[in-house]
Amino acid sequence: MTPPLVKTEGLGKRFGQDWVLQNLNLSLERGELLVLLGPNGAGKTTLLKLFSGLLRPTAGTITHSGTPGFVANPPAFHRHFSGLENLAYALRLAGRPVDLAQVSDALSQMGLPPAKAVMNYSSGMKKRLALARLSLLRPDLWLLDEPEAALDTEGRKLLEGMLSEARKFAGVVVATHERSWVGQASRVLTLGGGAG
Amino acid sequence: MQKIQKPGDLVTTLLVGLGLTLLAVGFYFALAAPPDANQGYLARIMYLHVPSAWVGYLAFFSALLYSAAYLIWRRPGLDRMAAASVEIGLVFLGLALVTGMLWARPTWGVYWTWEPRLTTTAILFAVYVGYLVLRSAIEDPDLRAKASAAVGILGAINVPISYMSVKWWRSLHQTQSLDLTTGKVHMDGAMVLALLVNLAAFSILFLALLRLRGLLEKRGGKLVSEA
Amino acid sequence: MNRTSQVSVTSRSGAQPALFGLPRVFWLAWRDLTLEFRGRAGLLAAVFFLATMLLILGLALGPLRSDLEKAAPGVLWVSLAFAGSLLAGRAFGLEVEDGTLDDLLLTPGSKEWIYFGKFLFQLMLLLLVALALLVMTAGLFYLPLKAWPALLFTVFLGTIGYAAISTFYAGLLARLRGREVLLPLLLFPLVVPVVLAAVRATAGLAQGLPVAEVADWWRLLLVFDAVYVTVCSLLFPLALEG
Repeated sequence: MTPPLVKTEGLGKRFGQDWVLQNLNLSLERGELLVLLGPNGAGKTTLLKLFSGLLRPTAGTITHSGTPGFVANPPAFHRHFSGLENLAYALRLAGRPVDLAQVSDALSQMGLPPAKAVMNYSSGMKKRLALARLSLLRPDLWLLDEPEAALDTEGRKLLEGMLSEARKFAGVVVATHERSWVGQASRVLTLGGGAG
Repeated sequence: MQKIQKPGDLVTTLLVGLGLTLLAVGFYFALAAPPDANQGYLARIMYLHVPSAWVGYLAFFSALLYSAAYLIWRRPGLDRMAAASVEIGLVFLGLALVTGMLWARPTWGVYWTWEPRLTTTAILFAVYVGYLVLRSAIEDPDLRAKASAAVGILGAINVPISYMSVKWWRSLHQTQSLDLTTGKVHMDGAMVLALLVNLAAFSILFLALLRLRGLLEKRGGKLVSEA
Repeated sequence: MNRTSQVSVTSRSGAQPALFGLPRVFWLAWRDLTLEFRGRAGLLAAVFFLATMLLILGLALGPLRSDLEKAAPGVLWVSLAFAGSLLAGRAFGLEVEDGTLDDLLLTPGSKEWIYFGKFLFQLMLLLLVALALLVMTAGLFYLPLKAWPALLFTVFLGTIGYAAISTFYAGLLARLRGREVLLPLLLFPLVVPVVLAAVRATAGLAQGLPVAEVADWWRLLLVFDAVYVTVCSLLFPLALEG
């Protein structure tokens, strides 16, 4: 039996004196879509970062078996690089061989121009570029922070297509305020407390 | 200081008592010891200067150990002890620098000379001032502990390398050949005894201060977390 | 509050092709150099700062040729140390400005390679500045460049030591407010041995001493470089984790 992609036991995270998350037990398998709901400050992004390994838990354990990929909100890129360069370097720094034709393909699938510098991108285009990056890196665990934000109708369609493709080989976690995600979710976790 | 109630703190109380007693004895010996043949009464500053410098270096070595231990076990207490070591070390190293300068003025005619040990000590002082400034600049306790542990380790590694570089630098730069060790050609038995008692007193006081500072920090931390 | 916390990461890079070593280090350094030249912010500012500094030092110490010659090695290395502290922030400044540090940290595998990539980038920047500086000191302070291979070797060893520490501290302070002030404060006391040894080696070469006479200083620089590159690369993953 394969181990779950991510498994947490008694997971807790404290910033300063405030516990943002406490005693969280959950696990995620390949093919699953976990939707995180909750008001601002409930710890959705914190949980995504714990899943990715960017943050260390204050309490409990978290076990990974697979590479994480992260779409932050808003996503970050090097301003002085074009979309193509950003993606090519993302692959190279992950230790992957780079096929530039494949990278341009991924860009045009998302409707993005290859040569334009990212500093001239709109926020919706940056989101598309972040999704293109994930589709190239093909991580085992897709972590998306408010992926629908800044995307237009066509962009959301692309996102949905990409995620159903991803669920064939990976697990997906989406942190969102849109209840429409709940329909496709294999699991929903509502985080409480926070600022609300 | 005397109202520490936890049984474990008996050790601290005893250390403080023993250290202060030895300090008084050492002070008496230092004044009773015969004056130096060459330097006269001036040499008595040695009984303060040498133990201070020793405790300074001891404290930074202790900070190195606590910093490394923190990185291995990640216990906040170890970080507190490292910080306490550095604070105490800076006080004693500062004392050593000042007494050294007070001694240098009548002996060499200048307050400051680029003697290797003196220069290394000044560099070391700067490194650990940086340590404390860094601590005050970081609010997140985990990040602060990690960053200062790294600085504590790098700073301690720098001590021998700094010393070597400054020593060679001086030796190739033959303008003065002053060394803090000159002038102590012969030491009377009473002088050795006074020095040893003072060294012991300062070392015990270091341990006592370290424990006290650790306790204070721990209780301070508890107050904050209970509030 | 006495909960235990541990992270166990099992075979996180299991599905990845095994390409984690040198190529990534070079790609990272190359990428940062490209970005630095496209952004143009850091390097030019540092070189102009140096030119101004050399002019002021020349005015303060000159105009006697013998005085300037005597000061040249010290001027060279103190200027390089100052310029280095301006440039030190660049190694991670790029990532912080663009917000890409997290993406870099998410790359699979352990984090030492990031240190080496950033170190290489920092080293290249410093070497470029050092070359400009050598020419300027030769012109303004009459530093003889006759023994240029040995001088270049000294510059190389000195910049390695400097870059080893500045890269580490830049990473450690990357996310902190006030890092511009903290960085030189932490950096300068630690690089004293580098500056001293490099100044003495440079001075020896300027006086026309044979290479054997300055070899001791090179050895000290080598020891420093080896110790600090090793320790900093080992401590670096700890410095960056969240």
